[in-house]
Amino acid sequence: MDARSRRKFLGLCLGGLLAGAGGAVLYPLIRYLAPRRDGSARRTVTFPAAEVPEGAAKFFEYNGKTAVVIRQKNGALVALSAVCTHLGCVVQWQKEKEEFLCPCHAGRFSAAGQVLGGPPPKPLETIPVTAANGTITVG
Amino acid sequence: MNLAKRIYTWVDVRIGAGALVEKELTGYLLPTNINVWYSMGSILLFIFAMQVVTGMLLLIYYVPDADKAFKSVTFIMNEVPFGWLIRMCHAVGSNMMVLILLFHMLSVLFMGSYKSPREMNWLSGFILLNLVMGISLTGYLLPWSQLSFWATTVATNSVGAVPVVGPYLVEFLRGGKLVGPPTLGRFFALHVAVIPITIAALVGAHIFFLQRTGVSTPPFGLQETTNRWLGDRYRYESHPGGIPFFPHYALQDLTSIAVYCALFLGVVFFDPYIFFPATAFVPADPFQTPAHIKPEWYFLPNYQTLKLFPSEFLGIAVQGAAMTFLALLPFIDRGQEKHPLKRPLFLACAIGGIVLYIALMIWGHYS
Repeated sequence: MDARSRRKFLGLCLGGLLAGAGGAVLYPLIRYLAPRRDGSARRTVTFPAAEVPEGAAKFFEYNGKTAVVIRQKNGALVALSAVCTHLGCVVQWQKEKEEFLCPCHAGRFSAAGQVLGGPPPKPLETIPVTAANGTITVG
Repeated sequence: MNLAKRIYTWVDVRIGAGALVEKELTGYLLPTNINVWYSMGSILLFIFAMQVVTGMLLLIYYVPDADKAFKSVTFIMNEVPFGWLIRMCHAVGSNMMVLILLFHMLSVLFMGSYKSPREMNWLSGFILLNLVMGISLTGYLLPWSQLSFWATTVATNSVGAVPVVGPYLVEFLRGGKLVGPPTLGRFFALHVAVIPITIAALVGAHIFFLQRTGVSTPPFGLQETTNRWLGDRYRYESHPGGIPFFPHYALQDLTSIAVYCALFLGVVFFDPYIFFPATAFVPADPFQTPAHIKPEWYFLPNYQTLKLFPSEFLGIAVQGAAMTFLALLPFIDRGQEKHPLKRPLFLACAIGGIVLYIALMIWGHYS
C-alpha cells in the first residue's frame, strides 16, 4: 500500500468518526429542540350548546390552532379555523354584520368563511361540526 | 482553484488571514520541552463553551419561579427528549470545570509559571477560579430542591460572620431575611448573565496576557531552570526553533480534550448521580431542614474549616487569609528558581496544602 492511499484511508476513517460524533451530538439536540406533541392536539372538541347562543361566536383551540364556532341567526352552526389565510392573525367575529374581520390588514370573511374583501388569498378552512343532545362536537 | 481556496483567497486579500495564521498559529512557537499540562487551559475553554451551550439549551425549558422551578427541572429530566442528557452534561460539566481548574492551577504552581512577569496571568486565573466557584454556587440553587435550598441557606449564612455589615450582607445576598423567591431571581440573574459575561471577559484578558508575555518554559528536562526575566523593559518570551502551535500542539490539545470527553461522558452515562445526593430529588421545603446537608465536594474544605473554629468569624478570617496568600503568591514568592525539586520550602508548603485540602474535604464528607 503506498503512502498516499494509506493517508486517504486514514483520512476517510477520521472523517467517518467525525461524522459519527457529529450525528451523536446533532440527533439528541434536534430531538431536544423539536416541538412537542402534547395532549392539546385533540381530534374532537365538545362543549355545551348553550355556550353558543344565536348570533354568537366561541373561540377555542383545535389541533393546536385557534378555531371558532358560530351560530348564525338562522340557527345553523359553522366551525372554521380562525387563522386568517393572509398572514396568520386571528379573525374577529362581528355579530351585527355576521362576518369576520381580520384586524391586522382588514381582511373580511363571510360567516361561511368565504373571502369578502381585503388581502386574504383563500377562504377560512372549515371544520366538521355537529350538535346533538345539547352538546356541540367539533372535529 | 476549488471553492474553499477561492473563499480563503477572497478573505485573505481583504484582512490578511494568511499573515494572521502564520503569526498566531503555524508561526507561534512553543518550548520544545512543553508537556501535556499545558493543554489544561484548552480543556477549560472547551468545558466553558459546553457549559454555555448546555446552559442556553436548559433555558428553553427551565422556569426561574420558586413555584415552577423544580417542576420544570423534573420536566426536563423526564419528559423532554434527551433533556436528562443536556442537564447531566451541565451539572457534571460544572464539577469537572472546578476539577480541571484545580489541575491547571497546580500545574502552574509546580512549574513556577506564576512567577514574574506573569503576575497578571496568575491574578486573572485566580479571579476566574473564584468566579467558577460563584457560578457553581448560584447554579446550585436553580433546581429549587431541598439540597439547593438548604445548601444556599448555609452558604449565604456564612457571610454573616463578616464584622459589622455581615447581617446586612446576608439579607442583601438573599433579597430577604431568608432564602426565598427573591433569592432565586438574584441567583438566576447572576448565574445566566452577570457571572458568565465576567468569566468570558476575564478569559479574554487571561489569554491576552498569555499572548503578550509568551508561553512560559517548563522547568523539566533543562539544565538551567531559573527565571531569566530581567524586569527592565517589556520582552516577549519567544521560543526560536520551538514546536509550532498549529498543527503540533493543537493536536495535543485535541487529544487532551478527547481524553477529557471520555472521562466526562463516562460519568454522564455510567454514574450521572455521583454529584447528586437524595435531597437533590425532593422539592424545596422552607419548613423542613433535611438531615446531614452537605455542600458540593469543592466547598467541603471550607465547610469543615468553618466547623473547626470556635467562632464563625475566625473560620472565615482564616480562609480569607489563605485565599489572599494564594492570590498574592507571585508577589510573595520572588525566588528565581522554577524547578519544584529545587524549591524545598515551596514543595513542602504545596504538598502540605494539597494534603490539608484533601483531608478537610474527606473529613467534611464523613463528619
